[in-house]
Amino acid sequence: MTDLRIKIGDITFSNPVFTASGTFGYGTEVSDLTDVSKLGAIVTKSVTLFPREGNPPPRVVETPAGMINSIGLANVGVERYIREMIPLYDNIGTKVIMNIAGTTLEEYCDVLEKVEVISSNICGYEINISCPNVKKGGMQFGVDSSMTEALTAEMRKRTERLIIMKLSPNVTDITSIAKAAENGGADAVSAINTVVGMSIDSETGKSQIYTTYGGLSGPAIKPIGLATVHKVYQSVNIPVIGLGGITTGLDAVEYLLAGAVAVQVGTATFRHADAGEQIINELHQFGDSKSIEKISSLTGAVKTYTK
Amino acid sequence: MANVQLAKNLWSMKFKAPEIIEEYFGAGQFISILVCDTWEHPLRRPMSIADVKGDCISIIYKTVGAVTKSLAKMHPGDSINVLGPLGNTFTGWEDGRDSILVGGGVGLAPMLNLHKMVKTSTIIIGARTSEEHFLSHSPQEGIFLTTDDGSIGIRGTVIPTLESQVMSKQNPKIFACGPEPMLKAVQSFALENQIPTQLSVESYMACGIGICQGCAIKKTEKEGIMRQTYHEKYDLVCVNGPVFSAEEVTFD
Ligand SMILES: Cc1cc2nc3c(=O)[nH]c(=O)nc-3n(C[C@H](O)[C@H](O)[C@H](O)COP(=O)(O)OP(=O)(O)OC[C@H]3O[C@@H](n4cnc5c(N)ncnc54)[C@H](O)[C@@H]3O)c2cc1C
Ligand SMILES: Cc1cc2nc3c(=O)[nH]c(=O)nc-3n(C[C@H](O)[C@H](O)[C@H](O)COP(=O)(O)O)c2cc1C
Repeated sequence: MTDLRIKIGDITFSNPVFTASGTFGYGTEVSDLTDVSKLGAIVTKSVTLFPREGNPPPRVVETPAGMINSIGLANVGVERYIREMIPLYDNIGTKVIMNIAGTTLEEYCDVLEKVEVISSNICGYEINISCPNVKKGGMQFGVDSSMTEALTAEMRKRTERLIIMKLSPNVTDITSIAKAAENGGADAVSAINTVVGMSIDSETGKSQIYTTYGGLSGPAIKPIGLATVHKVYQSVNIPVIGLGGITTGLDAVEYLLAGAVAVQVGTATFRHADAGEQIINELHQFGDSKSIEKISSLTGAVKTYTK
Repeated sequence: MANVQLAKNLWSMKFKAPEIIEEYFGAGQFISILVCDTWEHPLRRPMSIADVKGDCISIIYKTVGAVTKSLAKMHPGDSINVLGPLGNTFTGWEDGRDSILVGGGVGLAPMLNLHKMVKTSTIIIGARTSEEHFLSHSPQEGIFLTTDDGSIGIRGTVIPTLESQVMSKQNPKIFACGPEPMLKAVQSFALENQIPTQLSVESYMACGIGICQGCAIKKTEKEGIMRQTYHEKYDLVCVNGPVFSAEEVTFD
């Protein structure tokens, strides 16, 4: 049987399949539909310093092989997250990565500090510097390498836990942002967040999303995610977590080959809440059929025509 | 198990779903359907439960787009993937003499479901023309049909019939589900006349189980809401609804 364990920083995960932020709630809501303990880790919805209502509806729409969302980071805020969600992680049976979003450097720091001072099962933080759906937001960080480096360094100062910087594909040169995260002291980067998209109803002439533009996710963005992961993998020495349109074990394999050490599953969980579990099973099948000893041997092993 | 056309663009499908029935707790709840497991249509489609009998569930659906049209092409023996039961239920309808149910189009299913629970209730069903109706107009039995063109039942929207029915009840209560213009009209009538009313509303959904935060509906503004809140301004149709009281929600 293939060894699915992978390592990021000092932490060993039982397998490389995580949930993607914003598509699995806070990790405890769907326990009746899937065995959360099977997952390598769960990544929570973005948590901000204060609660957020999110954007007016419509917030979601289906598009070819994907969907556009503009949720606007609706979340309970860090105080309530600490009070109500964190205690539930004691018995969750898997690793928890908390995703943090903010609008200023101070806000990111405040959220992290509040969580750092309490003891909890959280093993790391994914820092969302790439949400396309808030007017004033993380996106400012995600498009600017010096801000990314400064933010990463501030986070690094405040925690020993894993720091994973989540990158946006909506930039001119993602490798410079990834390098900035590495220079700032990140343990890993994850890519990609959603791709800016728009949907129009030709019948009514209406834009289908309240904020006009939203974030495209699902199989439609898989090729973009793969290319991004491959580029980032080649430009940094820290692990890359790959995501964007993963719905099967073979999709996960492609991401690993492109350079990812682990993957996250997002939109696919809206169709099947146990998509992550299925993907783990399929990874096992793939590993067995190819007699792969360690899944980690796939990372970056893609054969390209040119160097 | 069965998939039959009821009226123009209106179909009913009945299928076995014992696991869903085990957890089902009343009219208003819905299921979410994945017709085929390719990514041509990525999202599940929410559909209200129209009837529960034995180990079978029925839905009543209007063919509006690709997925509902492909649903209409299905035959006994085909299978669909169903998630549910989801959402909340109508409440306080037990006294049928006072309950007035209003439905139409995509909102027929939960109202017919409720009507089966309270046979003594009055039901008003709206449509554009007689072609879209499949029940018969029988006021003696408390079944009123309306059409925009008067081709069957009472000419006009459901509102004038609702008004006259409300007048005839001692403590009228309204339960409604249908296209948004109908819900809006029922809501403003109910609020003006201070009649307890529950509306089952629709919103575009992605997960159906409260995790994606997609199906937001605006709540009626309350005084004194702080600037930074969560679920004070918006509720989620999938877990806080689909049934809301007329005072709770605002249509744009
Ligand atoms: C709680 C709830 C209960 C419903 N119950 C019924 C019912 O009993 N009978 C019935 O006929 N219809 C019902 N609907 C509406 C039904 O879900 C849509 O008509 C259906 O999704 C249309 O899919 P389509 O592919 O045929 O059309 P499309 O062409 O894809 O869409 C047509 C319209 O349907 C709506 N729609 C599409 N996808 C979704 C989605 N994922 N979630 C919500 N709305 C969507 C949108 O308004 C869209 O403009 C219900 C909706 C909700 C939210
Ligand atoms: C409804 C929805 C909400 C999301 N919310 C967040 C979020 O709060 N924070 C974040 O970092 N990413 C968020 N994402 C982005 C996903 O984590 C992921 O990067 C993206 O959807 C691509 O993966 P997928 O194609 O597997 O869905 C969200 C995505 C969706 C579809």
